[in-house]
Amino acid sequence: MKNLQDQMNENQPEPQFSVLWPLAKRSIKTQGAAAGLPDFSGKTVCELWDYIFRGDVMYAVIRERLTALYPGIKFIGYKEFGNIHGPKQRDIIAGLADKLRELKCDAVISGIGA
Amino acid sequence: MGIPTVSIVGTAFMKQAALVSKGIGVPFAIAEYPGAPMVDSDDELRRKVDVHLMPAIIAGLTRKTGQAAAPVDVEPAPDSVVFSGTLDAVEKYFHDQLWSDGLPVIPPTRARVDAFLRFTTRDRNAVIAVLPQEGREASILSIAVNGVMAGCKPEYMPVLIAIIEAIADPHFRIEDSGSTPAWEPLIIVSGPIAQELDLNFGAGLMRAGRQANTSLGRFLRMYLRNICGYRISPGDGDKGSIGYTFNVAMAENEAWARDIGWPTFGMDMGYAQEDNVVTVQSVVCISPPTYSSGAEATGHLQQFVDVIGRTFSYWAYSGLKRGCWHSLIVIGPSIATAIAGECSKDDVRRYLWEKATIPAEMMQRFARQTGGLELDFQQLVSDGYISADYIASNDPQRQVRIFANPQDIGIVVAGDPGRNQSRGYMANHEQGARTSHRIELPPDWNAMRRAARK
Repeated sequence: MKNLQDQMNENQPEPQFSVLWPLAKRSIKTQGAAAGLPDFSGKTVCELWDYIFRGDVMYAVIRERLTALYPGIKFIGYKEFGNIHGPKQRDIIAGLADKLRELKCDAVISGIGA
Repeated sequence: MGIPTVSIVGTAFMKQAALVSKGIGVPFAIAEYPGAPMVDSDDELRRKVDVHLMPAIIAGLTRKTGQAAAPVDVEPAPDSVVFSGTLDAVEKYFHDQLWSDGLPVIPPTRARVDAFLRFTTRDRNAVIAVLPQEGREASILSIAVNGVMAGCKPEYMPVLIAIIEAIADPHFRIEDSGSTPAWEPLIIVSGPIAQELDLNFGAGLMRAGRQANTSLGRFLRMYLRNICGYRISPGDGDKGSIGYTFNVAMAENEAWARDIGWPTFGMDMGYAQEDNVVTVQSVVCISPPTYSSGAEATGHLQQFVDVIGRTFSYWAYSGLKRGCWHSLIVIGPSIATAIAGECSKDDVRRYLWEKATIPAEMMQRFARQTGGLELDFQQLVSDGYISADYIASNDPQRQVRIFANPQDIGIVVAGDPGRNQSRGYMANHEQGARTSHRIELPPDWNAMRRAARK
């Protein structure tokens, strides 16, 4: 049995359509990520949290484990930065680079994407 | 900045993390949390941190060399022909490329696209903004192409441009369009253009069926897929957990609103009644059809509180903690007449604000159930998001308001004038915040529109 397309083609040729690309140019400036540090002993790690999905429990465990691995490691807790996905998100993000410099931050842990 | 960073991401969000990383051009070091943290026991959550997160966090923060940025894909040039074939072949190609919304599209041929571009004085290559999450340019050309595909008419082009200008406004927060509540944008067209383009503001206005309402709504969902990259599986960018389909565009029975002495919705948004305006806001839930009776205002208003207010109660905590929540009530014309005999629109807002309440403990429980969030009324008062009334006592059963600000409640008069029905449209807190943009018409609009009708 002939399919619909074949039946239509027998009767008359179908019109052809040349169509434009429906997306748009990406406008992205790429940059690489920073290299890590070999040892976090005595270094400062900053925590960024969106105050959801049980990050309070996760960060407590992470702090404990990293402290056991790296003597002298310091943490600047998420409360110092505020909710990075709350009503002050834009202000927090806009001032984040300066704040991390000011706090002499060596590394950042950010979450929770879920 | 040169500071090593690692991000904690749940398994279901790994693809979206990759898409965002590509869209901003920065590679992420990721520690993957397997599964959903909100349903794991405390012991299981700690075990997953030990077994899965810790090795990835240490690896991410101690790697010797920085991760190079992912190469940018080679893609077609804007305005280029990407495919030629029959209608069926075009449909298949667009579906395979994830460039459609699952329904057949009108093939965006150059002739059709050019017809749209004649309805604007803007250059086809002009760019309104670079939109998340794929970092693509919201160009006039891309608006025309997607407008064609969605089944719009060329004369809708000025409205299409205003829609994209509205969602590109930072106030709207288009970057949150792929969030799990799966909110949908709602377009409200105000001013004479609504009638000029034959938008339905009467019975069945929010049903698919009238070309202007339907295709404008479809256009915006298609634009979010194609330009922003918010695609459900097999795409990657849309994390809506369940979701619902796109909203058709809304319009108001402005003549009725004026006749009963109320300002139109467009006027509420700060424009003159003769201005043509597009407003876009998120909608994440729609109330039941809300019937109310009687010639006195109070009966109708209390019904709004009891039906629409209760529907919205669950999500109210999210509006309070974000300091932004744009609820919208579509009031049936005959009901609006009954209310307007006694009340202004501000009176209606104030009534809803005062009377729609739930127990404080229930609101806190809703917040905890959703994301493990402790809703701290004291903190929200200190931050200035809610009034001191919320902490007037420590009684967990004290009634607290679901609407933080009466002025955030939008009112549109529309629907069947012969029936006594209204309906509430609930926003997703500050995501998709209500944003308006004036529609710019070409200088010879009326002549062009008349010619297009022939």
